[in-house]
Amino acid sequence: MSLGTLDLDLDVFSGPFDLLLALILREEVDLLELDLADIVLAYLAHIEARGDLDLDTATEFIVLIAALLELKSRLMLPEEEVEDLLEMAPEEAAEELLERMLAARRYRGAAGELQGLLAAQAGVSFRRAPVPRRFRRSAIEQAQGTADPETLGEALAGLLRMPPQISVRHMLSPRVTVGERLEHLRGLLRRGSFSFDDAVKDADRVTVAVTLLALLELYRRGEGEWEQAEPFGPITVRPGSAHTGAPRWREPAHGEGASGGGAPLEVAV
Amino acid sequence: MSEVARIIEALIFLSPEPLAIDELSRATECGEDEVRAALAEIAPRYEPGVRGIALKELAGGYTFASEPVADEAARRLFGRVRLAKLTQAQAETMAIVAYLQPLSRPEIARIRGVNADHAVAALHEHDLIEESGRSQFGAALYSTTSTFLKLFGLNSLEELPDITRFDPSPEEASELRERLLKAGEARAGSDPQAA
Repeated sequence: MSLGTLDLDLDVFSGPFDLLLALILREEVDLLELDLADIVLAYLAHIEARGDLDLDTATEFIVLIAALLELKSRLMLPEEEVEDLLEMAPEEAAEELLERMLAARRYRGAAGELQGLLAAQAGVSFRRAPVPRRFRRSAIEQAQGTADPETLGEALAGLLRMPPQISVRHMLSPRVTVGERLEHLRGLLRRGSFSFDDAVKDADRVTVAVTLLALLELYRRGEGEWEQAEPFGPITVRPGSAHTGAPRWREPAHGEGASGGGAPLEVAV
Repeated sequence: MSEVARIIEALIFLSPEPLAIDELSRATECGEDEVRAALAEIAPRYEPGVRGIALKELAGGYTFASEPVADEAARRLFGRVRLAKLTQAQAETMAIVAYLQPLSRPEIARIRGVNADHAVAALHEHDLIEESGRSQFGAALYSTTSTFLKLFGLNSLEELPDITRFDPSPEEASELRERLLKAGEARAGSDPQAA
Protein backbone atom coordinates (compact mmCIF):
# COMPACT_ATOMS: atom_id res chain seq x y z
CA MET A 1 0.00 0.00 0.00
CA SER A 2 1.26 3.48 -0.71
CA LEU A 3 0.11 6.75 0.73
CA GLY A 4 -1.34 7.59 -2.71
CA THR A 5 -4.28 5.35 -2.02
CA LEU A 6 -5.24 7.38 1.04
CA ASP A 7 -8.41 9.15 0.00
CA LEU A 8 -9.23 12.36 1.77
CA ASP A 9 -12.49 14.20 2.11
CA LEU A 10 -11.62 17.53 3.71
CA ASP A 11 -13.23 20.97 3.72
CA VAL A 12 -10.84 22.45 1.19
CA PHE A 13 -9.82 19.31 -0.68
CA SER A 14 -11.20 16.00 -1.74
CA GLY A 15 -9.03 13.33 -3.37
CA PRO A 16 -5.92 11.22 -2.87
CA PHE A 17 -3.20 12.29 -0.40
CA ASP A 18 -0.38 12.49 -2.96
CA LEU A 19 -2.42 14.84 -5.15
CA LEU A 20 -2.93 17.07 -2.10
CA LEU A 21 0.83 17.09 -1.52
CA ALA A 22 1.46 18.08 -5.14
CA LEU A 23 -1.09 20.87 -4.92
CA ILE A 24 0.40 22.21 -1.69
CA LEU A 25 3.88 22.25 -3.22
CA ARG A 26 2.56 24.11 -6.27
CA GLU A 27 0.76 26.42 -3.83
CA GLU A 28 -2.60 25.68 -5.43
CA VAL A 29 -3.96 24.66 -2.05
CA ASP A 30 -3.43 27.09 0.80
CA LEU A 31 -1.78 25.26 3.63
CA LEU A 32 -3.16 27.80 6.09
CA GLU A 33 -6.71 26.77 5.26
CA LEU A 34 -5.95 23.10 5.55
CA ASP A 35 -6.79 21.31 8.79
CA LEU A 36 -3.83 18.94 9.22
CA ALA A 37 -5.47 17.16 12.13
CA ASP A 38 -8.20 16.00 9.74
CA ILE A 39 -5.59 14.35 7.53
CA VAL A 40 -4.15 12.52 10.53
CA LEU A 41 -7.63 11.36 11.55
CA ALA A 42 -8.34 10.19 8.00
CA TYR A 43 -5.08 8.25 7.99
CA LEU A 44 -5.83 6.61 11.32
CA ALA A 45 -9.30 5.59 10.05
CA HIS A 46 -7.60 4.25 6.92
CA ILE A 47 -5.20 2.08 8.97
CA GLU A 48 -8.02 0.85 11.12
CA ALA A 49 -10.06 -0.15 8.05
CA ARG A 50 -7.10 -2.06 6.61
CA GLY A 51 -6.38 -3.77 9.91
CA ASP A 52 -2.59 -3.83 9.53
CA LEU A 53 0.16 -1.27 9.98
CA ASP A 54 2.76 -1.06 7.21
CA LEU A 55 5.79 0.41 8.99
CA ASP A 56 7.36 1.95 5.88
CA THR A 57 4.18 3.73 4.91
CA ALA A 58 3.53 4.86 8.46
CA THR A 59 7.04 6.28 8.68
CA GLU A 60 6.62 8.07 5.38
CA PHE A 61 3.34 9.51 6.56
CA ILE A 62 4.85 10.79 9.83
CA VAL A 63 7.72 12.43 7.96
CA LEU A 64 5.34 14.11 5.48
CA ILE A 65 2.87 15.29 8.08
CA ALA A 66 5.71 16.61 10.27
CA ALA A 67 7.10 18.54 7.31
CA LEU A 68 3.64 19.98 6.58
CA LEU A 69 3.25 20.97 10.23
CA GLU A 70 6.60 22.75 10.27
CA LEU A 71 5.85 24.48 6.98
CA LYS A 72 2.46 25.59 8.23
CA SER A 73 3.79 26.83 11.56
CA ARG A 74 6.36 28.94 9.69
CA LEU A 75 3.68 30.36 7.45
CA MET A 76 1.71 31.38 10.51
CA LEU A 77 4.61 33.43 11.92
CA PRO A 78 5.05 37.06 10.85
CA GLU A 79 7.35 37.35 7.82
CA GLU A 80 10.46 38.95 9.42
CA GLU A 81 10.58 36.52 12.35
CA VAL A 82 10.74 33.65 9.91
CA GLU A 83 13.80 35.21 8.33
CA ASP A 84 15.34 35.76 11.75
CA LEU A 85 14.86 32.13 12.57
CA LEU A 86 16.31 30.90 9.33
CA GLU A 87 19.35 33.14 9.42
CA MET A 88 20.15 32.87 13.11
CA ALA A 89 19.72 29.17 13.63
CA PRO A 90 22.85 27.68 12.06
CA GLU A 91 25.12 30.35 13.50
CA GLU A 92 23.66 30.10 16.95
CA ALA A 93 23.83 26.33 16.87
CA ALA A 94 27.44 26.48 15.77
CA GLU A 95 28.25 28.98 18.50
CA GLU A 96 26.79 26.74 21.16
CA LEU A 97 28.54 23.70 19.75
CA LEU A 98 31.79 25.65 19.71
CA GLU A 99 31.39 26.54 23.38
CA ARG A 100 30.94 22.91 24.25
CA MET A 101 33.85 21.71 22.15
CA LEU A 102 36.13 24.29 23.71
CA ALA A 103 35.04 23.19 27.18
CA ALA A 104 35.62 19.56 26.25
CA ARG A 105 39.13 20.42 25.02
CA ARG A 106 39.84 22.34 28.21
CA TYR A 107 39.05 19.32 30.36
CA ARG A 108 40.89 16.99 28.03
CA GLY A 109 43.97 19.10 28.70
CA ALA A 110 43.31 18.99 32.43
CA ALA A 111 42.91 15.22 32.15
CA GLY A 112 46.41 15.01 30.70
CA GLU A 113 47.73 17.03 33.63
CA LEU A 114 46.05 14.68 36.10
CA GLN A 115 47.51 11.64 34.35
CA GLY A 116 50.91 13.28 34.78
CA LEU A 117 50.32 13.86 38.50
CA LEU A 118 49.26 10.26 38.94
CA ALA A 119 52.29 8.98 37.04
CA ALA A 120 54.58 11.17 39.19
CA GLN A 121 53.30 9.32 42.25
CA ALA A 122 54.05 5.91 40.75
CA GLY A 123 55.50 3.54 43.31
CA VAL A 124 54.17 5.48 46.29
CA SER A 125 51.68 3.37 48.20
CA PHE A 126 49.61 3.85 51.30
CA ARG A 127 48.27 1.62 54.00
CA ARG A 128 45.68 -0.64 52.38
CA ALA A 129 42.10 -1.45 53.31
CA PRO A 130 41.40 1.65 55.32
CA VAL A 131 38.49 1.67 57.71
CA PRO A 132 35.47 2.85 55.70
CA ARG A 133 34.86 6.46 56.50
CA ARG A 134 31.33 5.74 57.73
CA PHE A 135 32.78 3.70 60.61
CA ARG A 136 35.12 6.42 61.73
CA ARG A 137 34.22 8.32 64.82
CA SER A 138 33.49 11.88 63.92
CA ALA A 139 31.97 14.84 65.66
CA ILE A 140 28.29 15.46 64.97
CA GLU A 141 29.01 18.95 63.63
CA GLN A 142 31.30 17.40 61.03
CA ALA A 143 28.55 15.11 59.77
CA GLN A 144 26.72 16.94 57.02
CA GLY A 145 23.14 15.96 56.34
CA THR A 146 22.55 15.21 52.68
CA ALA A 147 19.01 13.91 53.00
CA ASP A 148 15.83 15.43 54.33
CA PRO A 149 14.80 14.12 57.79
CA GLU A 150 11.36 13.51 56.35
CA THR A 151 12.83 11.10 53.82
CA LEU A 152 14.41 9.23 56.70
CA GLY A 153 11.08 9.21 58.51
CA GLU A 154 9.33 7.77 55.49
CA ALA A 155 11.96 5.08 55.15
CA LEU A 156 11.61 4.14 58.82
CA ALA A 157 7.81 4.10 58.53
CA GLY A 158 8.19 1.60 55.71
CA LEU A 159 10.23 -0.65 57.98
CA LEU A 160 7.54 -0.60 60.66
CA ARG A 161 4.86 -1.92 58.34
CA MET A 162 4.43 -5.70 58.38
CA PRO A 163 5.44 -7.07 55.01
CA PRO A 164 2.86 -9.23 53.27
CA GLN A 165 3.14 -12.94 53.91
CA ILE A 166 5.15 -14.59 51.16
CA SER A 167 3.39 -17.52 49.59
CA VAL A 168 5.47 -20.67 49.36
CA ARG A 169 2.76 -22.64 47.57
CA HIS A 170 4.82 -22.79 44.42
CA MET A 171 7.56 -24.70 46.23
CA LEU A 172 7.59 -28.45 45.82
CA SER A 173 7.48 -30.67 48.88
CA PRO A 174 10.29 -33.21 49.06
CA ARG A 175 9.74 -35.77 46.37
CA VAL A 176 9.65 -39.49 46.98
CA THR A 177 8.94 -41.73 44.01
CA VAL A 178 7.27 -45.12 43.99
CA GLY A 179 10.26 -46.41 41.99
CA GLU A 180 12.71 -45.46 44.75
CA ARG A 181 10.60 -47.09 47.44
CA LEU A 182 10.10 -50.16 45.27
CA GLU A 183 13.86 -50.58 45.02
CA HIS A 184 14.08 -50.17 48.78
CA LEU A 185 11.47 -52.89 49.37
CA ARG A 186 13.08 -55.26 46.89
CA GLY A 187 16.37 -54.82 48.71
CA LEU A 188 14.71 -55.80 51.99
CA LEU A 189 12.89 -58.70 50.33
CA ARG A 190 16.13 -60.19 49.10
CA ARG A 191 17.00 -60.76 52.75
CA GLY A 192 13.69 -62.52 53.43
CA SER A 193 10.58 -61.22 55.15
CA PHE A 194 10.38 -57.95 57.03
CA SER A 195 7.83 -55.82 58.81
CA PHE A 196 6.41 -52.73 57.17
CA ASP A 197 7.33 -50.67 60.20
CA ASP A 198 10.98 -51.58 59.67
CA ALA A 199 10.74 -50.61 56.04
CA VAL A 200 9.51 -47.10 56.90
CA LYS A 201 11.52 -46.56 60.06
CA ASP A 202 12.07 -42.84 60.75
CA ALA A 203 10.40 -41.93 57.45
CA ASP A 204 7.99 -39.03 57.08
CA ARG A 205 4.28 -39.38 56.28
CA VAL A 206 4.72 -38.90 52.56
CA THR A 207 7.40 -41.58 52.38
CA VAL A 208 5.19 -43.97 54.36
CA ALA A 209 2.31 -43.38 51.97
CA VAL A 210 4.50 -43.83 48.90
CA THR A 211 6.05 -46.96 50.40
CA LEU A 212 2.56 -48.35 50.78
CA LEU A 213 1.92 -47.68 47.10
CA ALA A 214 5.20 -49.41 46.29
CA LEU A 215 4.06 -52.35 48.38
CA LEU A 216 0.85 -52.54 46.36
CA GLU A 217 2.92 -52.47 43.18
CA LEU A 218 5.14 -55.23 44.55
CA TYR A 219 2.08 -57.29 45.26
CA ARG A 220 0.61 -56.63 41.83
CA ARG A 221 3.75 -57.97 40.21
CA GLY A 222 3.67 -61.03 42.44
CA GLU A 223 7.05 -60.19 43.95
CA GLY A 224 5.76 -60.02 47.49
CA GLU A 225 2.78 -60.69 49.69
CA TRP A 226 1.80 -59.42 53.08
CA GLU A 227 -0.19 -60.16 56.13
CA GLN A 228 -1.82 -57.96 58.74
CA ALA A 229 -3.48 -59.78 61.64
CA GLU A 230 -5.61 -56.88 62.84
CA PRO A 231 -6.25 -53.21 62.06
CA PHE A 232 -3.20 -51.08 62.97
CA GLY A 233 -1.35 -54.28 63.64
CA PRO A 234 2.07 -54.95 62.20
CA ILE A 235 2.25 -55.80 58.49
CA THR A 236 4.59 -58.59 57.58
CA VAL A 237 5.93 -58.67 54.04
CA ARG A 238 7.26 -61.90 52.54
CA PRO A 239 8.77 -62.73 49.19
CA GLY A 240 5.93 -63.89 46.98
CA SER A 241 5.67 -66.68 44.47
CA ALA A 242 4.82 -64.85 41.29
CA HIS A 243 1.14 -64.66 40.25
CA THR A 244 -0.34 -65.59 43.59
CA GLY A 245 -3.93 -64.91 44.48
CA ALA A 246 -5.32 -62.34 46.86
CA PRO A 247 -3.17 -61.05 49.71
CA ARG A 248 -3.76 -62.75 52.96
CA TRP A 249 -4.86 -60.03 55.26
CA ARG A 250 -8.01 -59.94 57.20
CA GLU A 251 -10.35 -57.34 55.88
CA PRO A 252 -11.51 -55.23 58.81
CA ALA A 253 -15.21 -54.71 59.35
CA HIS A 254 -16.56 -51.21 58.73
CA GLY A 255 -16.15 -48.98 61.74
CA GLU A 256 -13.62 -51.24 63.32
CA GLY A 257 -10.70 -48.97 62.48
CA ALA A 258 -10.08 -45.94 64.66
CA SER A 259 -10.56 -43.55 61.77
CA GLY A 260 -13.78 -45.23 60.78
CA GLY A 261 -12.84 -44.80 57.16
CA GLY A 262 -13.23 -48.48 56.46
CA ALA A 263 -9.98 -48.63 54.52
CA PRO A 264 -8.89 -52.20 53.87
CA LEU A 265 -5.40 -51.49 55.08
CA GLU A 266 -4.65 -49.02 57.81
CA VAL A 267 -1.25 -47.84 58.73
CA ALA A 268 -0.49 -45.63 61.67
CA VAL A 269 1.73 -42.87 60.43
CA MET B 1 62.49 12.67 69.96
CA SER B 2 60.19 14.42 72.42
CA GLU B 3 57.26 12.45 73.82
CA VAL B 4 54.72 14.40 71.77
CA ALA B 5 56.68 13.68 68.60
CA ARG B 6 56.77 9.97 69.39
CA ILE B 7 53.03 9.92 70.07
CA ILE B 8 52.27 11.76 66.85
CA GLU B 9 54.52 9.43 64.89
CA ALA B 10 52.52 6.50 66.33
CA LEU B 11 49.17 8.11 65.47
CA ILE B 12 50.20 8.71 61.87
CA PHE B 13 51.43 5.13 61.67
CA LEU B 14 48.06 3.86 62.91
CA SER B 15 45.84 6.04 60.79
CA PRO B 16 44.74 4.86 57.33
CA GLU B 17 43.89 8.47 56.42
CA PRO B 18 46.03 11.59 56.53
CA LEU B 19 45.73 13.27 59.95
CA ALA B 20 45.25 17.02 60.04
CA ILE B 21 47.00 19.27 62.52
CA ASP B 22 43.77 19.97 64.43
CA GLU B 23 42.99 16.24 64.70
CA LEU B 24 46.48 15.57 66.08
CA SER B 25 46.08 18.51 68.43
CA ARG B 26 42.78 17.17 69.79
CA ALA B 27 44.14 13.64 70.21
CA THR B 28 47.37 14.64 71.93
CA GLU B 29 45.74 17.46 73.89
CA CYS B 30 48.56 19.70 72.74
CA GLY B 31 48.38 23.09 71.07
CA GLU B 32 48.64 23.22 67.28
CA ASP B 33 52.00 24.98 67.54
CA GLU B 34 53.32 22.16 69.68
CA VAL B 35 52.05 19.65 67.11
CA ARG B 36 53.77 21.56 64.31
CA ALA B 37 57.02 21.58 66.28
CA ALA B 38 56.72 17.84 66.85
CA LEU B 39 56.11 17.26 63.13
CA ALA B 40 59.20 19.29 62.33
CA GLU B 41 61.07 17.00 64.69
CA ILE B 42 59.77 13.88 62.94
CA ALA B 43 60.11 15.06 59.35
CA PRO B 44 63.94 14.81 58.92
CA ARG B 45 63.82 11.14 59.90
CA TYR B 46 61.44 10.46 57.04
CA GLU B 47 63.09 12.43 54.28
CA PRO B 48 63.00 10.58 50.93
CA GLY B 49 65.89 8.16 50.61
CA VAL B 50 66.37 7.75 54.35
CA ARG B 51 63.90 4.93 55.04
CA GLY B 52 61.42 2.69 53.31
CA ILE B 53 58.60 5.00 54.26
CA ALA B 54 58.23 8.73 53.86
CA LEU B 55 56.17 11.29 55.76
CA LYS B 56 53.87 13.10 53.32
CA GLU B 57 51.62 16.09 53.65
CA LEU B 58 48.61 15.09 51.55
CA ALA B 59 44.87 15.72 51.49
CA GLY B 60 45.14 18.30 54.23
CA GLY B 61 47.01 16.08 56.67
CA TYR B 62 50.06 13.95 57.39
CA THR B 63 50.43 10.34 56.38
CA PHE B 64 53.08 7.71 55.83
CA ALA B 65 53.63 6.31 52.35
CA SER B 66 55.93 3.63 51.05
CA GLU B 67 58.91 4.69 48.96
CA PRO B 68 58.98 3.72 45.26
CA VAL B 69 61.98 1.50 46.02
CA ALA B 70 59.57 -1.00 47.61
CA ASP B 71 57.04 -0.92 44.78
CA GLU B 72 58.08 -4.02 42.88
CA ALA B 73 58.50 -6.18 45.99
CA ALA B 74 55.19 -4.93 47.36
CA ARG B 75 53.49 -5.90 44.13
CA ARG B 76 54.96 -9.37 44.32
CA LEU B 77 53.71 -9.69 47.89
CA PHE B 78 50.30 -7.99 47.73
CA GLY B 79 49.42 -7.85 44.05
CA ARG B 80 48.46 -4.46 42.60
CA VAL B 81 48.72 -2.06 45.54
CA ARG B 82 47.65 1.17 43.91
CA LEU B 83 45.80 2.63 40.97
CA ALA B 84 48.36 2.89 38.20
CA LYS B 85 46.56 4.65 35.38
CA LEU B 86 43.21 6.03 34.31
CA THR B 87 41.64 5.53 30.90
CA GLN B 88 41.16 8.65 28.78
CA ALA B 89 37.44 8.73 29.58
CA GLN B 90 38.12 8.28 33.29
CA ALA B 91 40.81 10.96 33.29
CA GLU B 92 38.52 13.47 31.53
CA THR B 93 35.70 12.70 33.93
CA MET B 94 38.13 12.99 36.84
CA ALA B 95 39.26 16.41 35.58
CA ILE B 96 35.68 17.64 35.19
CA VAL B 97 34.74 16.55 38.71
CA ALA B 98 37.99 17.91 40.18
CA TYR B 99 37.44 21.37 38.71
CA LEU B 100 33.66 21.74 38.75
CA GLN B 101 32.59 19.79 41.84
CA PRO B 102 30.04 19.14 43.04
CA LEU B 103 28.24 18.19 39.85
CA SER B 104 25.92 15.50 38.56
CA ARG B 105 26.39 12.79 35.97
CA PRO B 106 24.23 14.52 33.32
CA GLU B 107 26.36 17.66 33.69
CA ILE B 108 29.54 15.63 33.17
CA ALA B 109 28.00 13.99 30.09
CA ARG B 110 27.03 17.42 28.72
CA ILE B 111 30.59 18.68 28.91
CA ARG B 112 32.18 15.54 27.51
CA GLY B 113 29.51 15.18 24.85
CA VAL B 114 29.20 11.47 25.58
CA ASN B 115 27.73 9.32 28.31
CA ALA B 116 29.88 9.29 31.47
CA ASP B 117 28.18 6.50 33.41
CA HIS B 118 30.97 3.95 33.06
CA ALA B 119 33.72 6.38 33.89
CA VAL B 120 31.81 7.71 36.92
CA ALA B 121 31.20 4.16 38.16
CA ALA B 122 34.89 3.27 37.76
CA LEU B 123 36.08 6.40 39.57
CA HIS B 124 33.57 5.69 42.32
CA GLU B 125 34.88 2.13 42.53
CA HIS B 126 38.43 3.41 42.96
CA ASP B 127 37.16 5.74 45.70
CA LEU B 128 38.37 8.78 43.74
CA ILE B 129 34.94 10.42 43.75
CA GLU B 130 32.00 10.16 46.10
CA GLU B 131 28.39 11.28 46.32
CA SER B 132 28.24 14.52 48.22
CA GLY B 133 24.57 15.47 48.02
CA ARG B 134 21.67 15.89 45.65
CA SER B 135 20.94 18.49 43.03
CA GLN B 136 17.63 20.33 43.17
CA PHE B 137 16.31 17.75 40.69
CA GLY B 138 17.41 14.83 42.84
CA ALA B 139 20.47 13.77 40.80
CA ALA B 140 23.47 12.61 42.83
CA LEU B 141 26.25 15.19 42.97
CA TYR B 142 29.85 14.00 42.87
CA SER B 143 32.94 15.41 44.54
CA THR B 144 36.53 14.24 44.82
CA THR B 145 37.67 12.22 47.85
CA SER B 146 40.77 12.41 50.01
CA THR B 147 41.93 9.27 48.18
CA PHE B 148 42.00 11.39 45.02
CA LEU B 149 44.25 13.96 46.70
CA LYS B 150 46.47 11.22 48.12
CA LEU B 151 46.93 9.30 44.89
CA PHE B 152 47.54 12.44 42.84
CA GLY B 153 50.01 13.80 45.38
CA LEU B 154 47.94 16.87 46.27
CA ASN B 155 47.55 18.51 49.64
CA SER B 156 44.38 20.32 48.61
CA LEU B 157 42.32 21.11 45.52
CA GLU B 158 43.93 24.56 45.43
CA GLU B 159 47.13 22.92 44.23
CA LEU B 160 45.47 22.02 40.93
CA PRO B 161 46.70 24.33 38.16
CA ASP B 162 44.34 27.07 36.98
CA ILE B 163 41.88 25.59 34.50
CA THR B 164 42.39 28.42 31.99
CA ARG B 165 45.89 27.00 31.49
CA PHE B 166 44.26 24.26 29.44
CA ASP B 167 42.08 26.53 27.32
CA PRO B 168 42.65 26.08 23.60
CA SER B 169 44.67 28.97 22.17
CA PRO B 170 42.73 31.79 20.39
CA GLU B 171 44.04 30.45 17.06
CA GLU B 172 42.75 26.96 17.80
CA ALA B 173 39.41 28.41 18.92
CA SER B 174 38.92 30.53 15.81
CA GLU B 175 39.95 27.65 13.55
CA LEU B 176 37.40 25.44 15.25
CA ARG B 177 34.78 28.19 14.84
CA GLU B 178 35.50 28.52 11.10
CA ARG B 179 35.14 24.79 10.58
CA LEU B 180 31.89 24.65 12.48
CA LEU B 181 30.37 27.60 10.63
CA LYS B 182 31.26 26.06 7.29
CA ALA B 183 29.64 22.79 8.30
CA GLY B 184 26.58 24.69 9.51
CA GLU B 185 26.21 26.59 6.24
CA ALA B 186 26.61 23.42 4.20
CA ARG B 187 23.81 21.86 6.14
CA ALA B 188 21.55 24.89 5.84
CA GLY B 189 22.16 24.89 2.07
CA SER B 190 21.06 21.28 1.66
CA ASP B 191 18.00 21.77 3.82
CA PRO B 192 14.91 21.85 1.58
CA GLN B 193 12.91 23.77 4.22
CA ALA B 194 15.44 26.57 4.35
CA ALA B 195 16.02 26.70 0.60
